Amino acid sequence: MPEVDFTVEVCGMAGDGTIAAGGLINEAMSLGGFSVLGFDSYPAEIRGFGRCVTNSRIGSNEIVALGEHAHALISLNDEQSRSRAPFLSEHSLVFFDSNPPTYVQEEKSLLSVAPPGVIIFGIPFSDLAVSAAGSSRGRNLTALGGFAAVTGIEPDFFREVIKNKFKSKGDRVVDINLKSFDAGYEYAMGKFADRLLQLFPKSEDRAGHDKVVLSGNQAIGMAAIDAGLKLYFGYPITPATPIMEYLAKYLPEHGGRVVQMEDEISSIGAVIGSFYAGVRAMTATSGPGFALMTELITHGVMAEIPAVIIDAQRAGPSTGLPTKTEQSDLQAAVFGGPGDSARIVIAPTNVEECYYFTLKSFQLAEKYQTPVIVLTDFFLDNRVENRPLPKTTGEQVACWNIFPGESSKGRYQRYDDTPSGISPRSFPGMEGFNFTATGLEHTEKGTPDYSPENHSKMTEKRHRKIRSALNDLEKPVEFFPNDQLDVGVIGWGSTFGSVLEAVEKSRKNGFKVGALKITSIFPYHSEIIKAFMAKSKFVLIPELNYEGQLANLIAHLDLKPVERLNFVTGAPIPPSAIQNRVEELLEVRAQ
Amino acid sequence: MSVQRFVVIGNGPAANRAADSLREKAPESKITILSKDPFRSYRPHLLPDFIAGALKEEDLYFRPHAYYKERDIILRLGQSVVNIDFSKRNAILEHKELVPFDGLIVATGGKPRIPEQFRLFEELMLTLKTPTDAKLWIEKLASTEAVLIVGGDLTSLSLTKALLKLGKHVRFILNEDAFWPRPLNDEVYRAVTERLEQRGVEVIHCRRIKRMTRLQENLLEMETDSQTIEAGVLGAFFGLVPDVRFLVKTGLDIDHGVLVNEFLKTRFTDVYAAGDCAQVYHPGLRDYWVSIGYENAAALGRIAALNLLGSRLEVRVEPESILEVGGVKVNTSWWTEF
Repeated sequence: MPEVDFTVEVCGMAGDGTIAAGGLINEAMSLGGFSVLGFDSYPAEIRGFGRCVTNSRIGSNEIVALGEHAHALISLNDEQSRSRAPFLSEHSLVFFDSNPPTYVQEEKSLLSVAPPGVIIFGIPFSDLAVSAAGSSRGRNLTALGGFAAVTGIEPDFFREVIKNKFKSKGDRVVDINLKSFDAGYEYAMGKFADRLLQLFPKSEDRAGHDKVVLSGNQAIGMAAIDAGLKLYFGYPITPATPIMEYLAKYLPEHGGRVVQMEDEISSIGAVIGSFYAGVRAMTATSGPGFALMTELITHGVMAEIPAVIIDAQRAGPSTGLPTKTEQSDLQAAVFGGPGDSARIVIAPTNVEECYYFTLKSFQLAEKYQTPVIVLTDFFLDNRVENRPLPKTTGEQVACWNIFPGESSKGRYQRYDDTPSGISPRSFPGMEGFNFTATGLEHTEKGTPDYSPENHSKMTEKRHRKIRSALNDLEKPVEFFPNDQLDVGVIGWGSTFGSVLEAVEKSRKNGFKVGALKITSIFPYHSEIIKAFMAKSKFVLIPELNYEGQLANLIAHLDLKPVERLNFVTGAPIPPSAIQNRVEELLEVRAQ
Repeated sequence: MSVQRFVVIGNGPAANRAADSLREKAPESKITILSKDPFRSYRPHLLPDFIAGALKEEDLYFRPHAYYKERDIILRLGQSVVNIDFSKRNAILEHKELVPFDGLIVATGGKPRIPEQFRLFEELMLTLKTPTDAKLWIEKLASTEAVLIVGGDLTSLSLTKALLKLGKHVRFILNEDAFWPRPLNDEVYRAVTERLEQRGVEVIHCRRIKRMTRLQENLLEMETDSQTIEAGVLGAFFGLVPDVRFLVKTGLDIDHGVLVNEFLKTRFTDVYAAGDCAQVYHPGLRDYWVSIGYENAAALGRIAALNLLGSRLEVRVEPESILEVGGVKVNTSWWTEF
């Protein structure tokens, strides 16, 4: 059976149903048993104008990165879709509305910029939708029908996901959308009978019913509920808002509450207050909101109060590019805030890790009594992958609070300087374990004390505690391990998928290349990273930021200079860019 | 001064030579080729070899997309022009797009000719003009052994060779239309019959075809004035005619093709026609003639382009090379050289 690796984009104007169409493709192909990775980009404005694009990469093997060139483009708005023409592969399929309501000038036509090798499928989306369902609103479904017919996707996959999507709106809405889909399907089956393709194996060959399509944000929300989250405090901000939306919908069913606060400062304050009282709480924000939280985050560091903060990075600084992706909050997450305020920062690399890392963040926060920052980014938050539904064990959601023993009752020191730096923790109201909590420097008992000796001792104690967290933090994972590497590529966050694909391709080209995935950003496993760097002739760190923020953090571990590859395009790093850089490095060495 | 926008309709030899000439002489201009066919420029004479399996499809095509990109010529394939608005100087595409032009060359070539008496049976006949036609032949031949050829232009003879190579049984009907536009006199008739029979072709002589019927998916029946013949596939080869039907309502002067003067200019300013789709005025004959053949078409394409850019080149053809068939004067100088 031929391997499938197919990328389809849907492009339209906000309000065209573009994102809905892309979502249906992801769901339908998942149902068909394929691996799916989808990502949407849309304007920062709420509705009515601006370009929306969905990118769905569909494969028979696991997909870890976005497709760089589309094999099919479904245009719901030709003027907007012109921007996608450079990303079309040579013989891609282009679906467009062949009977727009008015004549289109050449400079607004998609076909006037489409590469000559594309195969054109003109379908009167609006006309068919109106005939079938009485409204042109279903033209996105009609387009999907045409796409399914031409590419050989079983229509029942789409019909099933259309039913699921619209069932909450009643039978009539389901019927209208099914009719719109079928109108496009039947038209294409007839009109393009001599050009129909069979790009996807039939359903009997595959069964994907055990997988669910999840975004990174949905996985985070789901994990928070599974972790026993009771309170969510937040202020809306792209790309973190869907987490709050998800929790607002589902957390009350689990006995929790979502509170929209007046800003991010109050949000983090409430999270710290909840944890102080012994209740699991969380907030999610993005760079600008995170900046507002930093003072109170360091309060959590100083007063040793847990907190779980999702920093969904977007392109910055300041308001920046709200709907574009970037990995440029790393330094802020690790170092942001006054004083020596070490905290735990972890960064998942895919949707599955979004789930499991969020789950674990509560345990880490409780055990190490410090804010834990889960660093995601727009590409990770907003992308969807289809995976088996995550399952948790009791161990994964267990409380990791270390409570004081009965023997210390009456002589309890909240900030006891233990060998690990972890002090047994009590909550207000625990009789015999009373304490003072303060953002002022304090003694082991919690009494304010500014003496040089005390500040030196307690600062070291807090840092020792954070270092000890390495015992519970994920170690870096080496892919394609080898004793010696020509190029060792280190990746983190959403970029790691591109790293993995690039390294795999370079290896197929005969290059001795390996990859290291780092998910524990701070503290980090320096010995493992150092060993990987030492055995690599070149070390390459691709990042979606200008400054090379991970490279800045770990470059000192080895004497050789780290090669950097930095993109600030607002879009994920294409695997080919990493592969090219890898192979350039080796060609330079060969000369 | 704004960039001049030239549009060439068609993607055959005349269109491509015209676009090349425009690019050569007007390097700053914007040149767009609009072709209803979804495929690249191809060598039609190789289609029988492709059917015979002697060539891969890729071998049919001779200009990669990069050729156009390097020359900054916009190639738009599979996009049909359905009308031309000469007042606003827009080519109107089937999908309701308006492509503006300052200069236009119509070079749409020819399409298979189906004589009037066969129009009723057109759906039962295969022609061979494009790679798409060739693929249909390949598909049909996979499930049939007997092929019937009607008509007899040069393509049919090449295809017959290919069919024999594939081990097919070929029947060939000869009548007065068989070698259009060349008249089939007794001498030619005998020579062709002898040659075909030597190669194992069953030659059927008939004056009139009365009826054609599809008996089954892969079985056709034809009744002539002398017998009833069955075959799996029926090929019709009666030469080409100008492909200009879509231009009828544009205001261009159309007879069999687009009527142009000896400089290939139509009645509209900066609008020219070239190649198989043009009927060219011959001052000596005081009549119009149609050119057929690859090299002729390319030569006309170049003349049209240069004249559009301000030259005044006259198409020169010897009256002896032009013969009249069915009321149409045809330049067949290529015919005897084939």
